[in-house]
Amino acid sequence: MKNTLTKYLPLAPVLAGYLFLFLVGENLEGKWQLIAMLAFYCALGQAFNLFMGMTGYVDFGYVAFLGVGTYGMAIVISRLSDKGLGLWLLVIGLLLAIVMATLLSLAVGAVALRLRGAYFAIATIGVNEGFRYLIEGARLWGGSEGIIFTAQLNEAFGREFANVLATYWADVALFVIAAFSAFLTLFYMRSKIGYALTALREDEDAAKVMGINVTKFKIIAFITSASLAGMIGAVAWALKLTYVFPPDVFEIHYTVEAIIIVLLGGAGTLLGPIVGGLIYGLSKYYLAVTLPGFQLLIFAPIIIIIIVLFPEGTVGVLKKRVQGTFLAKIIV
Amino acid sequence: MPLLRLEHVTKRFGGLVAVDDVSLEVKHGEIIAIVGPNGAGKTTLFNVINGVFLSDGGKIYFEGKDITNLPSYKRAPLGIGRTFQIPRPFGSASVRENVAIGGMFGTQGHRMNVDACMEMADRYIDLIGLKGHSGKPAGGLTPTEKKLVEIARALAMKPKLLLMDEAMAGMNPRDIDQMVELIKQIRETEKIAIVSMVEHIMRAVAGLAERVMVMHQGAKLVDEPTKEALSDPRVIEVYLGRPPEGNVADR
Repeated sequence: MKNTLTKYLPLAPVLAGYLFLFLVGENLEGKWQLIAMLAFYCALGQAFNLFMGMTGYVDFGYVAFLGVGTYGMAIVISRLSDKGLGLWLLVIGLLLAIVMATLLSLAVGAVALRLRGAYFAIATIGVNEGFRYLIEGARLWGGSEGIIFTAQLNEAFGREFANVLATYWADVALFVIAAFSAFLTLFYMRSKIGYALTALREDEDAAKVMGINVTKFKIIAFITSASLAGMIGAVAWALKLTYVFPPDVFEIHYTVEAIIIVLLGGAGTLLGPIVGGLIYGLSKYYLAVTLPGFQLLIFAPIIIIIIVLFPEGTVGVLKKRVQGTFLAKIIV
Repeated sequence: MPLLRLEHVTKRFGGLVAVDDVSLEVKHGEIIAIVGPNGAGKTTLFNVINGVFLSDGGKIYFEGKDITNLPSYKRAPLGIGRTFQIPRPFGSASVRENVAIGGMFGTQGHRMNVDACMEMADRYIDLIGLKGHSGKPAGGLTPTEKKLVEIARALAMKPKLLLMDEAMAGMNPRDIDQMVELIKQIRETEKIAIVSMVEHIMRAVAGLAERVMVMHQGAKLVDEPTKEALSDPRVIEVYLGRPPEGNVADR
């Protein structure tokens, strides 16, 4: 029992961080929108880190999993809103989002995860674009017109609750997803899965010789990370926007943001995504407020400087600093 | 039944025959040295035995089971452990984690949880004498220490056969003696077969192996007890070249 507690102690600062953000949003007038954005970036980083950080593979098509997750929720709400399912509608929507993201990740992973390093990255760039054009070209799920389900959501829950759902509960759900992703990350780290992933990230051939079925463990991390992305899409995009258009959700920009957040925070660390998400979200927000139009010009060099100074990410550096002290048990 | 049996194993890379029709038997608990000059095909033979490469011809049996076409991650749990010529520990993981990873996916892996593997790791870290480095990342160790970590990691797999690729290359004489002692100790306590690959350090070979197989240009040249093998004229020829015809002074 005590052992389990020590093992999961590193969750404390992560959960405290999310709780702090949540309380700030609750109590500071007019800051909820910022907090909601931070929650999105933290959740995105936490989910992406579980794959990129733990395996060392970079998936440039990651946003596709958020995309199909958004579709999963949109399809359920637009088709089943008149069945009187109540809140079960959202549960079914979330489940379909997870299932769709999982299936896509299985299809992609079974092929692409046999490739290594840069070849994997190149293969995945195509997945995102390909899937978007498949939806548009094959007129799948409304084709390029997408799905607009504002009316159905209002019909199912009433205009008022639908509004609160989009502006409050969806964001709270993001915090929950972020915390859940962090828990899964730590759970993997403490189990054989995590050690197998560490081994294959460091040296895939040596890992195989040690008896590790590298493809299997890569796919486990990939599917977990993708299904979390599906949840994020279903909540942060479907419920908040109440519509889905292919060009909006299959936008590679979000993948790049996820990569930056993970690198800023420290790939493969538990605390990294929340730190990276905060650095990224806050600087993006305040640069857009203070220097509208110039934010990217300022932002890019800041990111470059941080990554040059801390190639292992902020938390990665911190982790090295505290090695051997009692803080090493908490900062993971 | 021999532990490992190779029957006419061949491995080609394009036109180059790296391993040429090699047959070999290893009994339980035996120590064998595979000797040969650079490029003789020793490392390739190791890679074929543990599945890094699949052979192009011949058969490989481990405890009677045909493993010729088994991928390497399925051979390890059967009991084939391996160290590399240039040590390849998992750099970011600590020494203890490195050794424990060996235990997790080795022959006993399915019945041991993470904590049990960590405890077992401590025993092997004691054996190799790196207790003080247990928590350090393996990437920061000296080359000799990295080799020791690899040996401990391979032992944690609880193998029946340990393949050691150039365990002593680049070491000073003192470290070599210690390594020889360590390998003897491993044989005593673990009761496993060891196939050790050696390029030059004959001194170590003599102190260790019961049998020597000499490879030359991919093929098996000699497979004899150590003493006979090292005085075999063919072996001397491979290493030193052909003695000149007639008297050198006459030419």
